[in-house]
Amino acid sequence: MDNDEHARALVDRARRGDDAAARELIRELYPLVAKIVRGYHSRHAAEEDLAQMVFVKVFQHLDQYSGKAPVSHWVSRIAVNTCRSQLAAEKVRPELRESDLSEEQVALIQNLAATTAEVAPDQKFAARDLVEKLLATLKPVERLVLDMIYLQERSVAEVQKLTGWSAAKVKVSAFRARQKLRKRIGTLI
Amino acid sequence: MNRDEIMHRLFRAAADAEPTAAEMPFGFDTRVLAAARSAPASGGIALLARRIALIALAVIALAGIGTYRASISDSDAMSEYAMADNAIQNNLGE
Repeated sequence: MDNDEHARALVDRARRGDDAAARELIRELYPLVAKIVRGYHSRHAAEEDLAQMVFVKVFQHLDQYSGKAPVSHWVSRIAVNTCRSQLAAEKVRPELRESDLSEEQVALIQNLAATTAEVAPDQKFAARDLVEKLLATLKPVERLVLDMIYLQERSVAEVQKLTGWSAAKVKVSAFRARQKLRKRIGTLI
Repeated sequence: MNRDEIMHRLFRAAADAEPTAAEMPFGFDTRVLAAARSAPASGGIALLARRIALIALAVIALAGIGTYRASISDSDAMSEYAMADNAIQNNLGE
């Protein structure tokens, strides 16, 4: 949400029981929450269900919002924590084999290995799907960090603000995740 | 071919193909507000437990102070008894 003052005003009104303000707050924050939820690539819970869990927590703890951080940061931290605890049970992460890839994805990875050219525009959706399959093999924290840094193109400082994690945690998680993905890509080439 | 380079090109392409911003599903806000009102806040029990613990601590502290004061007043009384007893003994001795 760009206008934090507006968001704070909505929070104040929602605290006083203003239904219209609460609905407006949900509408404005939905894209932010949906992005975070999508970044976790949950296999069991639907995105909409996870987003609903996040918003329920936001409204249950609305009185605890101190106003020190922007509303969007507070909400994104709740989203990150909700997704993490939800995904903690999903310990089994699928292994990715070449047989799991579509023909288009196999051609894409072979093309990437054979040339230094960027991915053709018509292969970008296959690339997206392949990246999501690769991310699904990582731990939830690693998934989210790579999603935010590489797919949402956020800086480490932004990831820190949104998650509440230290710069070291963000960097170490990204480093480990990259190492794992390098290995996985090696098995696919 | 450098795997790092492959990974970065793959991520760049995937970032370009980011799905369009999610639109809020119809009725989502109504469902959220209804669920938030019906489900008790998870912090409710913790808050209640914290309050009970604080009250218990206050009672323990008050009881402690009371016991301490009682023990002080008891020792004063004991010393008064000892003085009186000593005086009586002295008088009897004379």
